Amino acid sequence: MTQLTRARIRDLMGQVLENQGRVLPDDDGADLREVGFRSLDFSELALRVEDETGQELNFDAPGLRRIATVGDVLDFLVELHRQ
Amino acid sequence: MMSDSATPALLVPPSTVVLVSGGSRGLGLAIVNDLLESGLKVAAFARTVTPELAKLADVQPDRSYVDSVDVTDLAATQAFVRAAEGRLGPIDGLVNNAAVGQDSLHVHTATADIARIIETNLTAPLQLTRLVVRRMLAQGRRGRIVNVTSICAQRGFPGLVAYSATKGGMDAATRSLARELGGRMLVNAVAPGFFASEMSAVLGQTQLDQIVRRTPTGHLTEPAEVVPVVRLLLRDQTNINGQAIVVDGAASS
Repeated sequence: MTQLTRARIRDLMGQVLENQGRVLPDDDGADLREVGFRSLDFSELALRVEDETGQELNFDAPGLRRIATVGDVLDFLVELHRQ
Repeated sequence: MMSDSATPALLVPPSTVVLVSGGSRGLGLAIVNDLLESGLKVAAFARTVTPELAKLADVQPDRSYVDSVDVTDLAATQAFVRAAEGRLGPIDGLVNNAAVGQDSLHVHTATADIARIIETNLTAPLQLTRLVVRRMLAQGRRGRIVNVTSICAQRGFPGLVAYSATKGGMDAATRSLARELGGRMLVNAVAPGFFASEMSAVLGQTQLDQIVRRTPTGHLTEPAEVVPVVRLLLRDQTNINGQAIVVDGAASS
């Protein structure tokens, strides 16, 4: 299984936003609502991570509801990837 | 094929011995309680017999039979039905209530979890229904079946794709079974809206608040509001058959 760094996941998150004409801020504390990163964008990012690692990531919705910032997204996926 | 037309004059009598799957908590427990209070005999199983269900059984030992059974374990459900009939008499009512929920977007739901949801919520109740109907038919009995489905069977909600598919499947099975049984049994579904308690974790507070705002009655459905409908379908003389009755305060209308 390929290990993905937090920085690489951040790159992928940037790609998801870039495809929609938006920009990922450098600040991990940036609010996802202001960035315009929605739940389906999160799904797309998770699937991109899966593609790179070859590992399927399954998770329930309640965990997602606690995600509010860019850093939360990265933390969630790093932790999920680690499990 | 032989004629499948109904025999007109014979009505389906009220159920007197009712099997309730998933009777240990929530709506299932409320149904068991209500039927016992109404003087019926009730056989109820669940994966775990909660203290609440055990207490109900203790209060009415002659009119109840409860045990710990996983609805997906066909042999165990068969044994339960035989034991329940040995204790209470022939079953003439079935409430398919046992189900597992879901709280995950479809693309992030493990394939094993999808299979488990379908097995528990669709395959198992179909098997249990088959088992009970076979016994009723073999003994020339008439009876009633109530499938507890969900508003998810008719309206879309995120995070509930597999769950909705199973509930829609049970709504569809309800209609076909009512046809197939030619009036010897009444087969209906009750489709509650979201409960304030159990389902709140599924949708999140924001979505629940939105549903409440859109509900003319101004509140989410409570189990106590569904129970009388189940009782009516099991007990009252109506010509309701093959229907899915929505109990959601018109949230979905």
